[in-house]
Amino acid sequence: MRERQRNLQGWLFVSPWLVGFFLFTLYPILASLYYSFCDYRVLTPPRWVGLANYVALLTDRDYFLPSLWNTLFMLIELPLALIIGLTMALLLNHKIPGIGIFRTVYYLPSIMPVVAVAVLWLWVLNPQYGLLNAVLSTLLAPFGLQPPGWLADPKWSKPAFIMMDLWAVGGSVVIYLASLQNVPAHLYEAAEIDGAGAWHKTLHVTLPMISPVIFYNLIMGVIWTFQYFTQTFIMTQGGPQNSTLFYALYLFYNAFRDFRMGRACAMAWILFILTLIATLIVFRTSARWVYYEGERG
Amino acid sequence: MRRRLFSLSIMRINWLLFAISVAVVLVLPACQRKPSDPGVVHLRAWTMWGGDEAEAFQVVVDEFNRTHPHIQVHNLAAVEDTKIIRAIVANDPPEIFTLREPGYLGSLAGNGALLCLDDYFKQSGLKESDYAPGSLSQCRYNGKLYAMIYLMDCFALLWNKDAFREAGLDPERPPKTLSELLEYARKLTKRDANGRIVRIGMMPPDPLIIISAFGGQFIDPKTGMPTADHPRNIEALEWYQQLIEVQGGAEEVNAFQAGFGQEMGINNPFLVGKVAMMINGQWNPYWFQRYGPKVRYGAAPIPYPDQYPERKNPTWLGGNIFCIPVNCKHPKEAWEFLRWTQTVEAQVLFASTMHGVPNILAARKERSLREGEPWKRAFAVFMDVANSPNASHFPPTPITGLYQYEIYSAVDFVRYGTKTPAQALRDVQKRVYREMLFWRR
Repeated sequence: MRERQRNLQGWLFVSPWLVGFFLFTLYPILASLYYSFCDYRVLTPPRWVGLANYVALLTDRDYFLPSLWNTLFMLIELPLALIIGLTMALLLNHKIPGIGIFRTVYYLPSIMPVVAVAVLWLWVLNPQYGLLNAVLSTLLAPFGLQPPGWLADPKWSKPAFIMMDLWAVGGSVVIYLASLQNVPAHLYEAAEIDGAGAWHKTLHVTLPMISPVIFYNLIMGVIWTFQYFTQTFIMTQGGPQNSTLFYALYLFYNAFRDFRMGRACAMAWILFILTLIATLIVFRTSARWVYYEGERG
Repeated sequence: MRRRLFSLSIMRINWLLFAISVAVVLVLPACQRKPSDPGVVHLRAWTMWGGDEAEAFQVVVDEFNRTHPHIQVHNLAAVEDTKIIRAIVANDPPEIFTLREPGYLGSLAGNGALLCLDDYFKQSGLKESDYAPGSLSQCRYNGKLYAMIYLMDCFALLWNKDAFREAGLDPERPPKTLSELLEYARKLTKRDANGRIVRIGMMPPDPLIIISAFGGQFIDPKTGMPTADHPRNIEALEWYQQLIEVQGGAEEVNAFQAGFGQEMGINNPFLVGKVAMMINGQWNPYWFQRYGPKVRYGAAPIPYPDQYPERKNPTWLGGNIFCIPVNCKHPKEAWEFLRWTQTVEAQVLFASTMHGVPNILAARKERSLREGEPWKRAFAVFMDVANSPNASHFPPTPITGLYQYEIYSAVDFVRYGTKTPAQALRDVQKRVYREMLFWRR
């Protein structure tokens, strides 16, 4: 009896969470799966159309496939962010006077709100009056070259976004830094006794020891890239020539500009599957290069 | 024993907390503000305007509330269209709302979300002939009235007289035809020593305006199906392509345009001399007076295509669209507010602060909108242009948002020369036609 009462109490106390989970998480997820097979225009009841939404999307050479390609292109950013972030973390790991100031300075961009950063970079990247092209045009002038048009040029718009995001790489630097400081000093001592220099110490001690963190950043980066939205929504709205029409932006357009909620739901599920596949690939390969302390083998 | 007591008291507190939270959940909804006077009907109006414009609309609302004591309108400013759509889906929409994007009218009406106003309109004594051309047609979908317009937007050519003088052109003579406009644009475009644009002759206009100037067509009035690749539409984009070319090509023009500041403010590219001519709306004269009173400018009708003299005085219209949702609890009172906005007094009151063109013809003759402050002289040009039989607007369709986006991306391809105008518009036609069929199914 008493046991039952305590159980009841337990259920009552978790009930706000349970209600929230079933009502606001599980139900919408299942509903979106159902709607993805419907012609659903929000204002009228959904009508079952089977796989029509999926077929329409996967054969859409004008918007859907380009938006997917644009998003996949942004994956280039991940290795770049890894190299730059890790290099910065290694540099910031030195015990020199004033290191706190350096760490703060490099971390600062990543705590700026995305919208503010986007508006700021609109000016930095301005082809004619921008800070970046002011520097580039003086550097390139001796070779008779013109700096690129960045967001005004379909060829340079995606690289411009990548550059902008790399500016705010400080967030992952802090995570790398924390894990660098967790590498036990005795491993370095042992390596030194064996005659390892700075390069070998980094390659054979530091990298394996922080590989779980690299792995974590990579997974988060993949998920983040597939959801790339805010920057392009504010800065280019998909232009020029749809060169920055990323997957999430096109999903948004389907849902809230064209009232094709069914198709938007289908896009969300395709996105889920793609993210799942990409994450699984990273997981599969991880056995070869991620080292967990305390794990045998 | 002690321990048992302790656990008991914990249990009591648990139940007490639970009871309180249940009570709060149950009681809160009942605490909503109730209208104090039972005889007064309270209406919620969700409108798009924010900042200064919200204040201008509040003046109108206050005047209505003062003269209609049995109805009180409460304005909620700066509302996004999607919020209204969510409220309609949730079955708790405001009694009156505006559409920031008039293109939504067709999809809302087509889905049965809007109250049909035809009967109200007939009974109210309003006459079709009181209305300016292109005003009620913005509110109709499939021949039925689903909205009321409260002031319109109208476009005309604005030119900087000092730039004209500098380029050796007569500052009192704006271009009359579109080929003349190209010639002027070329002469007025100024470059620095490196060959980069420092002043653009003609700011690339909204391509929809050029299409309508050519007498183009978006929808076949008989079948209601899209006609994106209409021959006149193609001609219009060919002209547009030429306009970009005579000013240095897409990349140069884009790079220059990317440096433009906010239009509403002292960095307005026209006011700082970066733009010599532009096609823009009737709100500009007031902005110019406020943000750049020293700039000498003129306003004239949009030039027409040389080969189509019957298209003289073309203009493009927009408007402030007010709707009543189909499940409105007080449709009679909501209509009474909309009906009042159609009186000459309400039109003049709003036009003088919001700087929109009255949609009731009688209000356009009002002297207080034409004389007095300096901005009103140019504003009067816009009011006259709006009377033109060649005034047009985007027809309300269920796919307007998509249709316009498709045209803008087609123009993007044309600007860069990736597609010819005919090719680009045929691609648009294929897609919007399919979309329209999908919609009608």
